[in-house]
This record gives sequence, structure tokens and C-alpha cells, in this order.
Amino acid sequence: MTKSVADNVNPNIYEKESEREKTAADFDEDVEDLFDEREIFDLIRNINDPEHPLTLEELRVVEESNIRVDNKDNTVVVNFTPTIPHCSMATLIGLSIRVQLLRALPSRFKVTVEVSEGSHVSEHAVNKQLADKERIAAALENKNLVQIINQCIAAA
Amino acid sequence: MTSVWYKPELAERIMSQSDIFSETHSIITDIVSGHLDISDLVQNMAGVLTHIEPENREKGMRFYTKVLKELPRDYLNEMQVKFISKFYIDRLKDHHRVIPPVLEGYLVLIDMNEYKIQNCADFLPVLFREVSCQSQLRQDRYNIYLIMQKLCDKDIEFMKNLGTDFVYGIVSAMDGERDPRNLLLLFAFLSNFIKSVPLGHLVDEMFDVISCYFPIDFHPSKDDPASVTRDDLANALCPCLCAVPQFGDSCIVLLIEKLDSNLRLAKIDSLKLLVESCKTFTPQTYIPFLRALWSSLNREMSNKTDDELKLVAHQALAALVAKMATTADTDQAFQNFLKGILISAQTTIAEATTVAQFVKGAKVLLTTANASDQSCASITRAMVPATVAYYELKSTPKLQVASLDFIGDLYECAKTRGLLDEVRAQVSNVPQVCLEAVSQSAKEFQMAGFRTLIRVQECLGEDLVLPFVEILIYNVQHAQDNDLLSISVETIHMIARKYPELIMNLVVKGKCNLENLTQDKVVFQKRLNLLTNLASIDDFTKVIIEQMMKIIIDNDVEASHVVEAMNAQMSETSVFSTEKVTQIESDHGLIEPVLSWLYREISASNPDSLAHGFALISNTIGSLPPEKQQIILEKHTPQALEQCARDDNYFSVIECLYMPLHPTVYSSTFEEILRVALKVALGSDNEAARFKGCMLVAHLLNKAEHGQRFELLYELLKVKLSESNREDQNLCPRLILLYGWITKALLMRGSEMFLFWLQKVIGTISTVRYCTDAAEAIKLIMSENPEYLSAKHHCRISLLYKQRMFQTFSGLADNLKQSLPSENKECYLLCWAYVLDKAPKTVLKNEASKIAPIIIDSLEYSNKDMLLVSLDVLCQFVQMSPEHVSSSLQTILPRLISLTKYMKSMDVRIKSLECLYEIANNFRTSYLIPHKQDILLDLAPSLDDKKRLVRSMAVRARSRWFLVGAPGEDKDN
Repeated sequence: MTKSVADNVNPNIYEKESEREKTAADFDEDVEDLFDEREIFDLIRNINDPEHPLTLEELRVVEESNIRVDNKDNTVVVNFTPTIPHCSMATLIGLSIRVQLLRALPSRFKVTVEVSEGSHVSEHAVNKQLADKERIAAALENKNLVQIINQCIAAA
Repeated sequence: MTSVWYKPELAERIMSQSDIFSETHSIITDIVSGHLDISDLVQNMAGVLTHIEPENREKGMRFYTKVLKELPRDYLNEMQVKFISKFYIDRLKDHHRVIPPVLEGYLVLIDMNEYKIQNCADFLPVLFREVSCQSQLRQDRYNIYLIMQKLCDKDIEFMKNLGTDFVYGIVSAMDGERDPRNLLLLFAFLSNFIKSVPLGHLVDEMFDVISCYFPIDFHPSKDDPASVTRDDLANALCPCLCAVPQFGDSCIVLLIEKLDSNLRLAKIDSLKLLVESCKTFTPQTYIPFLRALWSSLNREMSNKTDDELKLVAHQALAALVAKMATTADTDQAFQNFLKGILISAQTTIAEATTVAQFVKGAKVLLTTANASDQSCASITRAMVPATVAYYELKSTPKLQVASLDFIGDLYECAKTRGLLDEVRAQVSNVPQVCLEAVSQSAKEFQMAGFRTLIRVQECLGEDLVLPFVEILIYNVQHAQDNDLLSISVETIHMIARKYPELIMNLVVKGKCNLENLTQDKVVFQKRLNLLTNLASIDDFTKVIIEQMMKIIIDNDVEASHVVEAMNAQMSETSVFSTEKVTQIESDHGLIEPVLSWLYREISASNPDSLAHGFALISNTIGSLPPEKQQIILEKHTPQALEQCARDDNYFSVIECLYMPLHPTVYSSTFEEILRVALKVALGSDNEAARFKGCMLVAHLLNKAEHGQRFELLYELLKVKLSESNREDQNLCPRLILLYGWITKALLMRGSEMFLFWLQKVIGTISTVRYCTDAAEAIKLIMSENPEYLSAKHHCRISLLYKQRMFQTFSGLADNLKQSLPSENKECYLLCWAYVLDKAPKTVLKNEASKIAPIIIDSLEYSNKDMLLVSLDVLCQFVQMSPEHVSSSLQTILPRLISLTKYMKSMDVRIKSLECLYEIANNFRTSYLIPHKQDILLDLAPSLDDKKRLVRSMAVRARSRWFLVGAPGEDKDN
């Protein structure tokens, strides 16, 4: 696949957060650690942007504050923000996040990945694609697409 | 019978039968012994050498060359060599089949002692005219190059006189060479040749011929056992391209062109060439290209992902700046170059929104500053005030901290170059900025402020001491964070060295005065720590130590805190040197009062605070020279022995007196001490006392001098131990542990006798009752602890003792295996685990085929320690030598999977997941594919583990397994 010039040639870059600090409770065998927003964020922050050698965190496509976890209802909601409103890669980014969470989260969670409200011109269409299980299954049959997604999430 | 080589039939023989070639050694014997003259031999060969068929002439020359090869190098005289040389030169004009043996023969001829360099004046023109080098076979081309090299090595002056014809000959001979081995030889030869022989009008031709290889693009065949690598070639080519200043312009044009290529290797090679070229080219060469070079360098240094490329780019910049700096006084170009760098880096810094971007700009400036005095002065002068202003802009905390560190870096750079005086005006208000930083409450600012202050300590003015001390003392007494606490103490220490009087008044006699009692115990303890730290500075020693001694002698309630603080600080060798401790002991007498305090408190105080006291004494004695140790022993031993006879608790006193002695110290009481120690080690009801007893026995054995003293102690030990009752079931575990200690002591001093005791220990592994004790003993032998048998205690520590233990153990354990009851298998494997845990990793790798089955066996059991070690070693094998474990993959994978659900320890779960990750990462895809689906399913439950750390490892492992054999996987096979 030949790659044309990137949509956003010169995106803003933001600071990386430090690694999650390990507390005494983390090493205590008896304490049960529940899933929290930060843990989900850590799973997806290092996904690479398809266009730049930068992570989704550095581009602030994903942020901890845009993630919601409910351990009781077993739901995870991730909202992501494309760098520019007409970003053609939005679906691909969303798909990468979805695939990564599919592989990394226990199956009891229902995962929803959506574009943050008002951050993309075709927000509705992208959300619809990302919510459609069959389309995602079909996309994962496509060898070229799987290759790109695997490369994006290899470092995550 | 006369041999054939005495007769003209020789020619016929050479043509008809090739077996004559194997008889040349007999010919040589005849020649050397004087029975046969070489000219006669040649006469007899005439028929074949001048035969009408080229095929036969070739045979003749081959035979001749073989004879020459086997002749002793000093046999031929000058005339003979000259004659043969003439003959060979003549043969160069012959049929092309004849050429290879001629070249080979001439190569041998050059090596003859009597070969005169003048002969080559005839040889070379004919060679260049008659033989077209590139039409020869690989080996023959190699010989031609070797001839040139040998001739140059023989007499380079003569070769210079041959003039440009010779150079031209070489250039045309090598033009188009493609074989990597030949090229390697050529490059090595050329880099010297070009430097020593003037190239005349052939500079451009020579450069063209070499530069066509740049950058090297070569992929060695994988099957070649001794292959030439790309890097070998690149490293050899680089010095040729910049061998002489005349290559300057062409070389730089070339490297700029390649620097702009898209190939990563081309860039790296060009940058390396730039570094190398700075050694030979003149600064003037670079002036016209500076702008182009800088823009390329800047681009490479901004590379986001490739660290190697960035590193080489920085090296190239450093080399270039250093080179240009030599013209700083005569030429404006350097100043302009520097200005360009400054502006560009400043822009990067000013526009930075993340630390990574800031550091990128800062690094460029630091590289430039580090390269030369001139650049360092200019950059420090410009950047220190600019960075201070930047700090005050209050961008983001992270950037501010980064800017403080950058100021520190610049300062240190100026300091190491001795340029502080030149930049005095610019750096003078840096401490003020540090003060601003530490005045904030955030930890990161305080840390950065103190860190920078310590670096710029020379310019700390007296007026700023007071405000700093205020903050520091507050930190020392109230800070909760250990990093902040230790850097605060370090800072006060630094200020105290600079302004002893101020600190004396402000801290020692002021805020932290010991008499100024406070209610808060924690604050008091922290104060004590600070004061003891300051006591290491000469100006403070007397005042502080005397105050502390007074508290101990008065048996104040605070005495135990004082002892604790002194022990904590004085064991830090970076703060208190051995000399300092010795000096404190001789000036103030530390041991005496502490010891009497211990005697008073031994029955009352809690064991922890006593332990500090014993450790303090032990440390102090350890720092003393042997004579002083002897005096202290004589003084205190009688009382200690007397007390110890009544109560085992007093054994600690003996232990702390005798543990840290030098090996040379000895007295007649040693036997008595050993007896007491053995008694305590085996007989005491107190476990801690037994431990100390064993420890002391081990120390005495380890340090006793070779010969009589050692024999005496060793005999005594054996006699005493043979008296003990083996039937006593309480005693046996203690004995086994003591054997462990003895083994360790002897093993560490490198004595063969350890084997005897180790056998005893290993023998008990097969007994059901005591096998766990044996495992403990093995663990002890392999363990390393600063508290015993360490260099601090002046113990003998032989090199590679762990390796020796590993070898011995693996031998003994093999014998044991047959007689092992099945219920002891776990214990046996546990012993192995302890040995493997501490054995050097390289040894394990060499013994992989033996160890791998043991490791895989032990994955079935549930002992936590054993599993952790086994998983650790397994991980190493997977990473370093997968071939030893890959055949057992079917066994390993289910065991690892079941360990990911091991409930007793999260560490085991994490480690087993890590192993699974490494397996996916290192094994051939074809081995893994059959297991992929099962593993993915089996790993799913771990994603929901109750511990987050386990989950995060499970995610790594599972994501990696998803990639096995999938498109987009980054793996070779």
C-alpha cells in the first residue's frame, strides 16, 4: 500500500506521562486490584499513530479523562480525539484501539470505542463503523489491514 | 640410484606424472645439503619450461614455484635471486595459463632475504603492461595486491621514486575489484599507501576508484563460516577516503550527498566518515560546506526513533566543531558556524512543548560546548542567562526542571574545561535561581534545585547560605521522602565544606543543637543523622563526636538513638573514609564507651538497638590497622569471655570484636574463642546466638593464615565436632548448617578441604528427615551478604568461588541422583535451584544441556523459591540459547500455563507469563504456530487476574502470542 502525504503533517506533540507508580498495595497478595481508568489508558497509550512515529498519548488522541470503567456492570468506554476534524485515519485509529482492548481485556467487559463528541466531521459514521461487530470481524479478515493494525499496536 | 632431478628427464617426468610434485621436499633436501645446484635443477627442467604447449609450461612454472616456496628463505644468494627474478619477469609475457604460478612464485621471491628492491623496477612495468589484473581469478588478483603490499612494506622510499607510473598501475589494477576479501586487503593497504606515496596528478583518479565503494552495500552469505561483514568493509574503507588532505573537497561533497540519501546505513557511514576526516583534512576544507553540513547534521540529530544515528550525528558535530575551533582566531567562519548552531538550538528550545524536545535542543548545545574551549565559552555565555530567563517564564514544571538541569550541565562543561573565570559574570546568579526553585514546595523543584546547587557550588555566595539552610534544616527534620532527605543532607554537607563557620553557628550550635531537646523523637533522630554526617568533615568532628560521646557515657535516654545514627552514617564509606574512622577512634575513643553502654543495656534494651551498637563496634574495629585491632582485643577479650561463660547473650560482644579482624591478627586466645563459638553454635537455645556462633567459626577458618595457624584451628574444629553426638535429633540440623558454614568459609578461601564438608552436606539430601536442612545449608553456601564473609571483614574471597561450587555440586549431585528416594526429589531440585540462582550466568549457558532438564523438572513442583529461580533460568535460556529448550516445548508450555494460575505467589505468575512472552519472542515461528491457539485461550483467564501487575504481564504475553505468525510481526524467521 503506498502512503500519500499525511493528513496532518505537523501535529502538536504533548508530554508523555510517567509510568504508573507501583504502590505497596500492588505487591500485596491479598489486595484485589480493580480495573481503573489508568489501567485502560496504559493499555492503549503506546499504540502508534499510523502516520507518525508518535504514540496516541503524545498526540493526545487518547486521554485518561476520556475513559470510563465500570467494574460492576463490566463496561469500558473509550473516547478518542483525532488530531484534526477531517482526519481520514480516524476509523483506523479506532479500530486499533478496539483490537488492542479485545486482546488485552477479559471477555466479561463490553467495550465501546467512540470518537469524542464534536471532534470529527463524520463522527456519526465513524462511530457506527466501530460499533458494528460484523464490520470489524470483516476488517480483521483483510490481511493488509491486520498488518497495519499489528504494527500500530506491537509496541503497546 | 640417482634421482630423476639429477637428470634432464626431469622435464619429461613433470609433464607426464604429477606425483613428482609430492617429492619436492627431497629435492629441497638435496639442494640444501649441497648435492644439487639450483641452476642444474633449472637446466634439467628446461624441457618443460620452454615446451611448446602452454599447458606444459604451466606445469613447469608450477613445479618451479613449488620448489621456491619450500626453499629456506635465506638459501639463495643475491645473484641467484636476481637471475630467477629476471626469469619470472620474462614469464609474465607468456600465455595467460602460465601467469598464476608466476605471480605466486614472485610473491615467494620477494620474501627471500637477498631480494633487492631494485628487481621490482623491472617487474612492475611488465606486470602492469602484460597482465590485466581484473581478468585474473580471485586468488591471483589477491596475489597481485599482496605483491604490491609486500614491496611497499619492504622499502617505501624506493616505491616513492617509481613515481606516478606505479600509482597509475595500482589504480588501474584495482579498478573494478568486487571480491570482499580482496577489498579488505586493498583498503588496509591503500590507507597507508596513499598517506606515504605522493599521488601527483592522479589524486582524482585514486579517489574515484575508492569512492565508488562508498557507502558499502554488501550482504554476506549466511553459509560462509568466516564471512567478511559489511561493517568490516565499511570500517576499512573509511580511512582510505580521507587518507590525505588532497581528497578533502571530493570527500566532503561525497559525504554530503550520501548524508541526504534515504538509506540509514549510508547516513551512518557518512557521519562516521565525517568524524574520521576531521583527523586529516584542514579546517579550510570544510568552510565552504559548513552550511550544508550543519543542516544535514541537524536533521539527523532530530531523528525521533533511531538512537544510533543520533549518537553518530552528535559525534560528527563534536568532531567538526573541534576541528573548526582551531581557526577561531583567524577566521570568521567558525563564529558564523557557531552562531548558526546557537540560533537553531535556541529556536528548538524556545518552541519546545515537551521535555523530549527541550532536551533535543539542549543536547546539541552541550555537544557543541563539549567539543572545544571556544565553543564552550560562547555557548555558556549565551545560554546560561537565556536559560535562567526561560526558567523564569514558568512554562511547565517539567520544562523548568529540565532547564535547571541544563544549566548544571553547561556549568559542569565550563568547569571541566577550566573556563569558569571567563563565564563568572553569567553564572554568578545561578544559586539565586536554585534558591527560587527550592523555595517551592513541590518535590521535583526542590530536588532539581539542590541537584543544580551541588553542581554549581563554587559560586554559592555567603549571603545565600542562610536562606538555603532554613529550607534544608526544615527538610532534614520533616521531609517524608527519602530522596529529598538524602539530597538535603548532601547539600548541607556541601555547604559545610565551603562555609564551615556559618554552618557551625547556624546548624550545629543553632538549629540542630543536641542540647536543644525536642519532644518529637523522629525529628531528633533525623537531626542526629545529619550531625553524624557532618562529623565526617574535619572542622566538625571534634564538636559533634564529643557531644555524642557525652550522651552515650551519661547513658542518656537518647543514647540508643545516637548509636543508631552513628552506625547508619559511619558505615557509609563514601562519607566516612577508613582513615576518618581510625582518626575518630584514636582521638575520641569510640569503642570503649559504646562497649560499656552495651554491657549495661544488654539485658534490658531491645535487640534492634543493641544490634546497632554491635555493628558500630564491628565497623570501627574493621577500619583500624592490625596493630590497633590487636590492642583492643587484648583489652576487651577477658571480660567478654567471662561474661559469655555465664550467658550466651554476651557472645555478641565476642562476635563483634573478632569478626572484622585482619587476617594477620592472631593471638593465643583464638583457640578458646573457637571453642566458645562452637559451643554456642551447636548448644545455644537462642537461634540468633547460634547463627552468630556459626558465623564466627566461619570467619576464623576463612582468615587464619596458611600453615600452622590454620592447621591448629582446623584440627581443633575436627576434634570438637567428632565429639558431638550424631544421634541427637536436635543437634543434627545444627550440625548440617554448621557444615554449610565451614564449607562456605573454606570454599571462599580457595581451600580444597571444602569438598570434605560439602560431601557431608550433600549426603544428607538423600535422608528424608534432614533434606530440608541440607537445602538451607546449600542456600547459605551460595548466598552473599554484606553482613558476613565480605571484603569489609577482610575475608579471603577467592575468584570464581561460585563457579567452583557449581561445578563441584553438579558432579556430586549426579552421583546422588541414583540413590534418591522419590519424596526427596523436590528437595534435591531445590538445592539445584539455590546453586543455579547464584551461579554465574555464563557458566549456566555453557552447561545448558545439563541444566535444562532439571529446570523443566522443577516446574512441576510448588515450592515458591524453587519456581522463581527455575523460571528465571528458563527465561535466560529462552533468550540466549533457545535451541536447548525448544525440543521440550510441548512439556514446558502446559507447565508454564498451569503456573500462571499459581495462587500462592504473584511473582511466580508474573515470571511464568514473562517466560511465555519470551518464548513467543525468541522461538522460531514454525515451532510456535501449532500451540498458538491453545496458548491464546489459556492466557485469557490471566487477563482477569486479581493483581494488576500480573494482568499487565499477561497482556504483554498474550498480545505477543497474537502476533506469532501474523502479518506485521517483526521477526526474522
